[in-house]
Amino acid sequence: MAQEVLLPKLGLTMEEGTILEWVAQAGDVVKSGDILLRLATDKVDVDVEAEGDGRFEPVAAEGATLPPGALIAWLLSGDEQAPAGPVDQVAVALLEAPAASDVGELQLMAPTATPAAAGTPHGRLLASPNAKRVARETGVELTALRGTGPGGRIVSEDVEEELARRGAAAPVPAPSVDSPSPGQFVSPLVRRQATAAGVDLTTVRGTGLSGRIRRADVEAAAAAVPAAPVAAAPAPASAASTGPRAGQVVPLTGMRGAIARNMHASLQEMAQLTHGFEAEVGALLALREQLKVEWAGTGLRVPSINDFVVRAAGHALLEHPMLNATVRDGAIHLLEQVHVGVAVAVPDGLLVPVVRDADRRTLVSIAEETRALAGAARDGTLTLPQMEGATFVVTSLGSYGVDFFTPVVNPGNTGILGVGRVRDGVRWEGDVPHRTSVLTLSLSFDHRAVDGAPAAEFLQSVSGLLARPLLLLAG
Amino acid sequence: MAKAGGTPTLEAATVEGLGADELLDLHRRMVRIRVFETEAGTLMEAGELPGFLHLYVGQEAVAAGAMATLTDADQITSTHRGHGHAVAKGAQFRPMFAELFGRLDGYCRGRGGSMHINDLSIGMLGANGIVGAGLPIAVGAAFASWYRGDGSIAMTFFGDGASNIGTFHEAANMAAVLKLPVVFVCENNGYAEFTPQARHMLLEDVADRAASYGMPSEVCDGMDAVAVKLAVARSVERARAGDGPSMVEAKTYRYYDHQGVKGLRIPYRTQEEIDAWKKRDAIELLEARAVADGVLGKDVFEKVWAQTRADAEDAIAFAKASPEPDPADVLLNVYTTEA
Amino acid sequence: MTATLEKGATPARTGRQLTYVKAYNEALHQVMREDEDVFVIGEDVAGYGGVFHMYDGLLTEFGPRRMIDTPISEAAIVGLGVGAASRGLRPVVDIMFMDFLAVCLDQVVNQAAKMKFMFGGDVRVPLVITVASGAGLGAGAQHSQSLEAWLAHTPGLKVAMPSSAYDAKGLMVTAVRDDNPVIMMLNKKLLGAKGDVPEEIYAIPFGQATTVREGSDVTVVALGRMAVEAAAAAEQLAGEGISVEVIDPRTVQPLDTDAIVASARKTNRVVVVHEAVTFGGLGGEIAAQITDIAFDHLDAPVMRIGAPFSPVPFSPKLENAYVPDRAAIAAGCRRILERS
Repeated sequence: MAQEVLLPKLGLTMEEGTILEWVAQAGDVVKSGDILLRLATDKVDVDVEAEGDGRFEPVAAEGATLPPGALIAWLLSGDEQAPAGPVDQVAVALLEAPAASDVGELQLMAPTATPAAAGTPHGRLLASPNAKRVARETGVELTALRGTGPGGRIVSEDVEEELARRGAAAPVPAPSVDSPSPGQFVSPLVRRQATAAGVDLTTVRGTGLSGRIRRADVEAAAAAVPAAPVAAAPAPASAASTGPRAGQVVPLTGMRGAIARNMHASLQEMAQLTHGFEAEVGALLALREQLKVEWAGTGLRVPSINDFVVRAAGHALLEHPMLNATVRDGAIHLLEQVHVGVAVAVPDGLLVPVVRDADRRTLVSIAEETRALAGAARDGTLTLPQMEGATFVVTSLGSYGVDFFTPVVNPGNTGILGVGRVRDGVRWEGDVPHRTSVLTLSLSFDHRAVDGAPAAEFLQSVSGLLARPLLLLAG
Repeated sequence: MAKAGGTPTLEAATVEGLGADELLDLHRRMVRIRVFETEAGTLMEAGELPGFLHLYVGQEAVAAGAMATLTDADQITSTHRGHGHAVAKGAQFRPMFAELFGRLDGYCRGRGGSMHINDLSIGMLGANGIVGAGLPIAVGAAFASWYRGDGSIAMTFFGDGASNIGTFHEAANMAAVLKLPVVFVCENNGYAEFTPQARHMLLEDVADRAASYGMPSEVCDGMDAVAVKLAVARSVERARAGDGPSMVEAKTYRYYDHQGVKGLRIPYRTQEEIDAWKKRDAIELLEARAVADGVLGKDVFEKVWAQTRADAEDAIAFAKASPEPDPADVLLNVYTTEA
Repeated sequence: MTATLEKGATPARTGRQLTYVKAYNEALHQVMREDEDVFVIGEDVAGYGGVFHMYDGLLTEFGPRRMIDTPISEAAIVGLGVGAASRGLRPVVDIMFMDFLAVCLDQVVNQAAKMKFMFGGDVRVPLVITVASGAGLGAGAQHSQSLEAWLAHTPGLKVAMPSSAYDAKGLMVTAVRDDNPVIMMLNKKLLGAKGDVPEEIYAIPFGQATTVREGSDVTVVALGRMAVEAAAAAEQLAGEGISVEVIDPRTVQPLDTDAIVASARKTNRVVVVHEAVTFGGLGGEIAAQITDIAFDHLDAPVMRIGAPFSPVPFSPKLENAYVPDRAAIAAGCRRILERS
């Protein structure tokens, strides 16, 4: 009995995932628990395991971006064939998926006709008509491009960017004699038919209107030439991981794309501004030193400065609920739970795992949680649920020597608290200066929900708690 | 007075007040209708005509009598049963038959068919496939007469069935309120398609409805062309004098079915009823009375019949020879494009 | 002095400001002076000046022969217009709310529209039917519709949808001079909107779209009042670095397919927006025409934005959500431009 392999939904907010790589190959016999593919979401990359046994037969191509629930492969038994009409089933899955209407066409592969053909997947290229036209006119091979349009479709910008990448150094090659000439039109149906029949469309002369290649032309070509093996679609170009270099074009995709979208949306939508506030942390630093000595060997984790701030913020948010809120549908919705996100820098960007119920946790519990989450973030093993639901965020640039900065509020929140470096401060007692330890708190907030004075009061609360750190150890 | 649909109760046709020329004019109009419709019916039965055919046979006295009061400058709007009105108003056999055949030489260039025959040059503002739709259009034509003050009037024909539709009431009221020169002629043939009058309205006379709109009306014998002419002439005179609209109801009868000659062959009328009305055939009544009174001789009438039959034969041959319209020209006249 | 704009000509803007309804009114004053055959008929058009004041001042200047109040009889009013037009007059028939066309649709669709064709060409029907269309005023389901798709679907009719005071005047002049039945759709929400209106009489040819705003990233084809919303959305999107071209067809029958397709070829992405419900609306027709002619120039399926498939709701909360607005258009543009 053929079993469907559907694109899994990893977390509540996941709307699409990209098949980075098929780990299993067509025709492989897999067992439940074997890794089938590596899947990218806008937050994490995960391995997807088989949920049953069978002969693996992929339906979707590598690089395809699909909504959860889309049919991506079959697990077949014996010499069973993939059920007919997988394309339609995917289309149905798409239609039923939220926001599927703008996903558009899919990058799909026809199921291989025979097991012998397995291993040479041939895909239907997903490209906009305009991209095809521009590619035809400029001699760009579409199969070498990665689509950035809806549903992974190659759009004309992808072609233009490819041309720009080639730059002046490599002049645009003239269309080769083999490539379809401008004005040679091919309908999707005919293209599919040609693919199925193994007919190279560039060798077919169109007899339709304006030289359009008709089904009859493909049939004639198929009859004349024995089916030739179809060239495998080249794998997506593997991304170099040696860091950005001059001249390189870094696509706004994956995590980078998510960050770009979220930050842009945030600044577009909110009325954001930032308060800077100097907090005295001398007592806190002293306490940490003391704990390091006392707790040595106990297994208890000494909280970082950031952990203290998370704890203080969690507490202060109870007193200042407007900063633990979300603005939507023309109203400020105050949230009942306090989940503080902690921004963690990773090589390609930034992840924000969440300390849940930060107002109710002990400082030690927070410390253990943040350490675990940061580790998972750097190892790439964070799960989507671990990154969802932050109601407020704490972010630190202290270790980079930054004092004041303007963090950007995460969409759906009303505030984000930045933590600067610890530095020497001065407290004057009469005319006598005393050296103190201070750090700057940078609170960005959404002025639609929170005014300047209450935001300052929140900072006073946080600062007051940081100045009396023993309170934070309590409860 | 006649009772529509039921048994005719009129005695004989009146000829008083009309001279030989006028009688002959009425006779010629009626015979032309009868011959045209009979030939059209024959062609229809033979399967030579496409589409629908609502034949006017039996009602000739109404069209002939009413149209004898009008000039070419006066406008009429007609009904789905419109051949009689067109012929009586002066339409030519050749373009009429050509239109029934759907040919290029038809009145509508083959675009309209039986239900849209028109000829603006003789004031025939069109038959109409929608029951009741011609009434407000006639009011508009009358408005143009009033606006221009050119002395012309408009006349609209409708059946007893159409007097139940909204446009009848809206048009009658509008014409009365605006005091427009229009004459409403109801051809009461006793049936709304297949439904007898008694089952589609509770009044005996459609003309009674005119009172609702402050409009004078009268009922006349729709099998008597002279009576129709005299009644309609009184309404026309009022219209031309600027006294507003009037209504004339002519009690008449349709010999053939609602559509076609024998139609669906569903018996909704008794043979006795049909025979009784045919005994008072408008043409026979006029011929008999004129001969009896010594106004016109039988030979004169024979000549009219013969000439008309010859005209029809010629027109049918013409129509059959007329070219078919070219499908490439289908967009022609959807819009007026030339200045 | 009569000016007719050549295709692509930029109209002379003089800085003279007039409201949309006054511009329509001025057009009528001028064409009635120009042509003795023009008259206005409808409910409360003469003594009262029209329920939307479209006809203010006309009775005083032209008298009761040319300004005629009628009973509430829409079928007879339009029918009178058809009959008078067929005899060479140039009636302007006012049907008040567009929704009321349903009461007299036979006269519009079976009589006015088809008469010339059915009669083999032997008649002209120079008839203007003015209606007030559009939602957004809490007028409810029977006083708020945009029914242009019904009408544009009928061979023989022309349909004009001015979105500015300038167009209201220029299109009305053309409508009255046209020898065909024209439905003049005035948008109720625009009646008080001021715009530049030259004093001289001028005619805007039918079937000539106007480029409300030039842009390069995405084309918004917007009907009637949606052109105003689209322009506002374009302004907003400009701040986001998105360049939007706004095309207002001005008449949907005839439709300036050339201008729409040219813009589609330029931007490769098209959003069509109208107040009418999306299903069966002109958005589908426009999308199909673009796909027919410029398929190979598209980077995304043509997107339609219209009302949901329900009657126009009454509650302001519901109605505001129902009618497409600048935010919906901006969101549509962002979505069609989305890249990952």
